[in-house]
Amino acid sequence: MENIVFGIGITALTGALATVAGAAEDTESNIGSQGDPNSQVQLAPQMGFLHRIFNKAVAGEPPAYGLWCCLGAGLAWAFMAMQINAVLAIVLGCILAVFVQGVYATTAYLGRTASLKKFGQPVYVDILKSMTTVTMAHAFVAIFCTVTLCYLMNAALGHPFPLPLLGLVWGISLGAAGSAVGNPYYGKERQYQNQKFGAGVPISASGNIVRYAEAGERNSLDNGFFTAKLGGPASGVCFGLIVFLELWRTILFEKIAAGWGAIIVGLLMILVFTIIDRYIEVWARKTYGPYTKPEEASS
Amino acid sequence: MSAVAAKPAAGGAMNPAAMGVGIVLLILIIGVCYYISPGLGLMSLIGIIIGGILIGFGVHFVPVGGAPAAMGQAPGIATGVAMLAAGGGLAGLFGGAWAADQGLVVAVVTGGVGGGLMMAITCMMVNFIYVFGMGIPAASGKVKNDPITGDSQAEFKSQGTEGHGLPFVSFVGGVIGGLLAGAGGTLIYLMLLDLYKATLPTLMQATEVQILPIAVSAAGIFAVGMFLVNAVLTAYNITGTIEGPHDPKFKRWPRSIVASAVASALCGLVAILIVV
Amino acid sequence: MTVKVEVIEGGVPHNQILATGLIASLICLYLSYLNVITGTMWFSFFGGLAVVAALYWGSHTIKVLCSYGIGTGVPSAGMISFGSGVIAMLLATKYNIAAPIVALVLAAVIGLILGYLANEVLNMKIPAMLQALTELAIVGAFTLMGFAVLITGSFTFTALTTGTVTILGLSLPSYQASFIGGCLIAVAFLLGAIAIQHPFNACLGPGWTQDRMLMLTAECGFLSMIMAAVMSFALIPFGPALISLLIAIIGWAYTYSKYFELSKRDAAAWLDAKPIPDVEVQ
Repeated sequence: MENIVFGIGITALTGALATVAGAAEDTESNIGSQGDPNSQVQLAPQMGFLHRIFNKAVAGEPPAYGLWCCLGAGLAWAFMAMQINAVLAIVLGCILAVFVQGVYATTAYLGRTASLKKFGQPVYVDILKSMTTVTMAHAFVAIFCTVTLCYLMNAALGHPFPLPLLGLVWGISLGAAGSAVGNPYYGKERQYQNQKFGAGVPISASGNIVRYAEAGERNSLDNGFFTAKLGGPASGVCFGLIVFLELWRTILFEKIAAGWGAIIVGLLMILVFTIIDRYIEVWARKTYGPYTKPEEASS
Repeated sequence: MSAVAAKPAAGGAMNPAAMGVGIVLLILIIGVCYYISPGLGLMSLIGIIIGGILIGFGVHFVPVGGAPAAMGQAPGIATGVAMLAAGGGLAGLFGGAWAADQGLVVAVVTGGVGGGLMMAITCMMVNFIYVFGMGIPAASGKVKNDPITGDSQAEFKSQGTEGHGLPFVSFVGGVIGGLLAGAGGTLIYLMLLDLYKATLPTLMQATEVQILPIAVSAAGIFAVGMFLVNAVLTAYNITGTIEGPHDPKFKRWPRSIVASAVASALCGLVAILIVV
Repeated sequence: MTVKVEVIEGGVPHNQILATGLIASLICLYLSYLNVITGTMWFSFFGGLAVVAALYWGSHTIKVLCSYGIGTGVPSAGMISFGSGVIAMLLATKYNIAAPIVALVLAAVIGLILGYLANEVLNMKIPAMLQALTELAIVGAFTLMGFAVLITGSFTFTALTTGTVTILGLSLPSYQASFIGGCLIAVAFLLGAIAIQHPFNACLGPGWTQDRMLMLTAECGFLSMIMAAVMSFALIPFGPALISLLIAIIGWAYTYSKYFELSKRDAAAWLDAKPIPDVEVQ
């Protein structure tokens, strides 16, 4: 019984850490402009729209966060093997991982922008100086939370995987969840804020991202400020739910029916989310209505 | 991930001669394994091949829109297909590895459910953002009516786009993809773990408890490696984006089965040769 | 509309880079075998140099492959490179001194078959695919082997799976505190997978220049070497780890500053706190 209570306590803690990690991850990738929306930042100068957005082309978020979290976890493991206290080891490991992240960010910006010479896109050194540290700060929060939750899974809950492997697994999942949920919000809602609300960006408008906005010329901090209001927390809730529910159903139900208890609970959860998703979809169709009359629409 | 110009669709056709060569290679590799280690090794290899096929096939179900999806121009999730599938599958592997003590069937199904749960939550939150954050309903660009619910799609597609969000069939596809990928990855991991637990003690002159970290880590990193190889091969098969099981590109799955089977067999054989 | 990738030409021919990278990497891996001959760990840093050489070659292979527009983006190529490389590398470590050569042959076979599957069974029909995937598998195997040498001092299976753990001042052998046991191979895997695809991915664009990309490759290699050297403090004695760390830091600082210079050379303009220039909208 005590075991289960301890397990649930750790599960709650990891769920909270995962939520913070997801929110920080999405905000960081939006400030740096990473992943699929970054294709627009790359495309804009080619269509004649020069900008002051940070162009952080470091793979996609899943492999990149897989690396930062795995690296942070590996360094933490190495420090712990050198008999350094666990908390200090994790902090040191994450600091070094963030340093790598910052360097990759700067080289990506310089590389992509220098290769756009033909279209006249300048390299803004002040953007490099001001954005990099902000993305590093958000990344530190995300990486630290993820490495900590991996450590808790390994040390407190007894998962067989060693710390670096857990870092790899949850880093990639963090990137996948945060990228899936946060990218459309950044890409459609903020980058193309000048397009009509409530519809996708028409293909003819590709490249025409917003470059002049609330406070003069827009930069990535403005983007981060916006997406941190909904995209970030939504990504956080997504990753937090993933980690929390995965652990919760295992801790509580794995002993029931020789493991089948956890499986049945998992399937029930999938069913619940399917119903919620269907509700959302139907609500949108009913409340927003179609764009055109059904007969006029072309497939 | 950068948006790279898609290759013109020479991609859709099957190549029967090459598929034949692939199957011959597969039989050859199984034969070599049978010769070297008929009992444990062969069983592991068959398990690894099945796991690889599950991953390769499962990734076809996952709805991925790529860069256009990030702008609401195409349906699907706005992440790369290999890495999204890796995220789901690895979350499943995490759960499956934890349940390894409870037997093969329970662990594999647990892994599958873990992957499916991760995809279900992610897909639900994607629709949440599209609907409540951006005011955009889900619509598919490839079919007139959703195959599962019968909802008409065309009038809910905004002008100038190919669709957006995750129609219900794409959601279901995502969950199925997560289930299969999670189960496949866990199966590969468990096959290798059992093999290493049985053979490493004699090879390294130690007790099973002592070599357990080696077995777990080696099996784990092999599972991750094979997972990524299979996912990337599937990504090549669908040329980067797919709307889900209703997408015409889905019909390309037979090629992927052969490719995944051969790739997994080859990598599995090498993994088995370490301890044989 | 997606970003156009034009097939980019110019610079040192690929086969020359292939030869340089392959031979340099092999030599560095074998130089690290001096560790075994002298019974010390002082030559572990050669592993890091092998990593830089292999990545130097591999990033150019990715440039050759991805210039054809494979439709999935650059990071996937890095992943398949290391996914196939890790499997070849682990089997090769069983062959003691012949390990690098075995890794070369084995990875080439795996890469060749994967290339055949991708090109023929999956019908991608890209001219460079077969050779590229073969090369990438070899690069993956060499990079991982280089990391293994840097962190543990040797590339044999026994060295990678045994370490020591100090309890109450006593050093006891432990399988958990080792390169494979602690799964540091996962860190090496991702360090290499991101480092191999980053140079081409980051320098992508019409203004791509070869020397800038290769300088970035060296920078990524040395950066990865710094991190691996920090991790090596747990597994090899202080002195050799410090040497690796110092070499890596010096190498990184040099390549990073040179990369800044090259970017400045290539950029349209190098502005500090200036507004967006006025350009006619095309």
